[in-house]
Amino acid sequence: MHEDVIGAPAPPPLPPAAGDAQHWWPAPSPPPAPLVEHRFSFHGDAREYFRIWIVNLALGILTLGIYSAWAKVRTQRYFHGNTRLAGVPFEFLAKPWPILKGRLIAVTLFVAYVLASQFSLAWQFALIGVVLLATPWLLVRGLAFRARYSAWRGLVFRFIPDYGEAYIRYLLLLIPTVLTLGMLYPWVQGQQKRFIVEHHRYGGHGFRFLVSSGRFYIPYLIAWGVMTALIFVFFFAVAALAAASALSGKGNGTPPVWIMMTIVGGFYAGYFVIFVFLQAALLNLVYNHVDIGGRRLRSTLKGHRLLAIYALNTLAVLASAGLLIPWAKIRLARYRAESLSLLAADDLEGLVAERAGEIDATAAEVDGLFDIDIGL
Amino acid sequence: MNAFSAHYFDGITSRMHAVTVSRDGAGSVRVSGDGIERLAPAADLRLSPRLGRTPRTIAFTDGARLLVSDHPLLDDWFPSEDRLLRLVDRLERHAHAVAASIALCVAALVAAVVWGIPWAADRIAGQVPLAVEAKLGEGVLGQLDQYFGFEPSTLAAEREAELRSRFARVVAAAAMADTHRLEFRSAEEIGANALALPGGTIVVTDQLVDVLSDDRAFDAIVAHELGHQRHRHALRQTLRSSFVIVLAAFFAGDVSAASSVVVGVPTFLLQSHYSRGFEEESDRHAFDTLEAMGESPAWFAEAMRGLNEAHEDYGEEVKYLSTHPTGAERIAAAEAAGAAFLERHPEKFREVPGYDACEDEGICEDDEYEDEDEDCDDCAEAEVDCADDGVDAEPGDCPIET
Repeated sequence: MHEDVIGAPAPPPLPPAAGDAQHWWPAPSPPPAPLVEHRFSFHGDAREYFRIWIVNLALGILTLGIYSAWAKVRTQRYFHGNTRLAGVPFEFLAKPWPILKGRLIAVTLFVAYVLASQFSLAWQFALIGVVLLATPWLLVRGLAFRARYSAWRGLVFRFIPDYGEAYIRYLLLLIPTVLTLGMLYPWVQGQQKRFIVEHHRYGGHGFRFLVSSGRFYIPYLIAWGVMTALIFVFFFAVAALAAASALSGKGNGTPPVWIMMTIVGGFYAGYFVIFVFLQAALLNLVYNHVDIGGRRLRSTLKGHRLLAIYALNTLAVLASAGLLIPWAKIRLARYRAESLSLLAADDLEGLVAERAGEIDATAAEVDGLFDIDIGL
Repeated sequence: MNAFSAHYFDGITSRMHAVTVSRDGAGSVRVSGDGIERLAPAADLRLSPRLGRTPRTIAFTDGARLLVSDHPLLDDWFPSEDRLLRLVDRLERHAHAVAASIALCVAALVAAVVWGIPWAADRIAGQVPLAVEAKLGEGVLGQLDQYFGFEPSTLAAEREAELRSRFARVVAAAAMADTHRLEFRSAEEIGANALALPGGTIVVTDQLVDVLSDDRAFDAIVAHELGHQRHRHALRQTLRSSFVIVLAAFFAGDVSAASSVVVGVPTFLLQSHYSRGFEEESDRHAFDTLEAMGESPAWFAEAMRGLNEAHEDYGEEVKYLSTHPTGAERIAAAEAAGAAFLERHPEKFREVPGYDACEDEGICEDDEYEDEDEDCDDCAEAEVDCADDGVDAEPGDCPIET
């Protein structure tokens, strides 16, 4: 009658000579240990999560939002607890209070902003400035919070705060990005991802990011190129239509509205497609270059699969007035987990707790006053 | 059954131990198997709250933990003090509670959209000083001039002065402060239109002046725009849209990268719903103002018809983008108000749009002519000539309208 938690079958070995895998592996240690692909999997169920979600929402409404912090813990526990790596689930350990604190601060800022907008523009801009200045700090706090309260196999993750770097990469680099009219943006994106990855630790290993920020230009240049082509086609279609209706001389010289609407709709659909493919390419680029003590993540997201999921999710959410949001979230989480695996030469049993390894001086502060979670 | 299997992690390494958990009579829990032999008081262990079928953990005080699938024994062995989460778990498993939650959420959503957002936005709009709103309006006019092809008006100075004096009379009839400014602009791209900017300025395009058949239709249009000003629609609309976005973002959460679509569509639908309400409110304001001036609200219907025709000439897409969707219902409402006006003021029957002396009163030009001079058979023909091209006929042949 008792069902084992780790009911998943033993992880299947990596198919031999998987081309890419060998290429990724920089100089393996002398006796080349066989690589094992440890899979991620997601076990959440849409009907089960719907009940959790709707009760959370109802209690949030009844308590005027106070309960939302508890709701967030339950939601995160659900998604962590149903995501497994090599058959072992993740855990989310946070308590609601720091989340409530973070939300109260965010709401206070928002109310202050609304009030300030009534009294003077100067105050409004001052508040925008404060939020802008605080963003890198908040980002670091949020990452540290999430890492500290995420665990796998009884060991928690760590995020080593580095505020100076955060300010450089999230605020200072905005200036050259704007000055170069966005041409620097892919590189800045790479720098930001590197910051996030390389300040994470787990199991006695710092994460490493094995790709240069220049590589981020490839997906962006492709996306920009396709976008330019799309804009060209769009204007060509409009011009052709205008010419055709002018030549036919029928009516009053303007094409029917439905054709115009179709063209505009097609343009937005094209934009959406490019956006989703770009997102898939970026996620793959980041995950495929994360190294955790010689172990590598492997992400095989496909743009067209992601597009199908997003498109159906969007339609379902709109058509159900939001009631299918849980279903949409579960579908997305399942696909993302199924597309991810960890390539390792070991059985993942020999990782050690962070505190048993290097102890960072800043470790003590995380339980302090600023142990808040940001991100509404 | 007094034992269950679990997986044990010591909190120091990632090593997983398959163990058996059992309880002895004295309230201690024994963990044994796979090289682990551990005894701990049950009271020191913390069981994670129940959550669907999600695996649960039992935490030791030193950071070690047991991973177990959900099991009825667990809550007996490790009773939780957290009554809130026990209650939530029961609600989630109870069909009626779930149904009640759905009803509550849908009702809250509808209430927020129908009453909550308009109420909150209007309360805030009431707090915004007029000076701030005027600043906003200046910016808008500047943008229109810069990006929407607004050119200085080409109306003749006398014509402009005439319309300005009419505007002043409309403002006075509406009993509104004379801080409202009227701006004329030539806007080929936008065509016949009038706009109420935040802060009290009303912009009328030359193209609109050209299409209106009668100056009383101009009164009707500016009375409508003044309605937007009196009720501060521009500001309220802006605030409502921002609230809709906040609400939609709250509900949609992090569904997908498509959330911009998920947020955008309801925002668009609600905005057009809200703006329809504002148009109706301004229409009523126009009817009341016209009535106060002793003019028939039917002039508003006349103005709308003129706008409709003008926009058909301009092409359909302009009509789509127009800020004043000209619905048949709005014309019908103006006609109805005009009929009611006529009932109260029957003496004004000559001053309504579509008044035709011949049809309404039997004072037809032909008859009039025949009454005066029965012999003149050709005169009717001459009149037709005059109407058709007016060139062939001698000026004297034409009957002069009185």
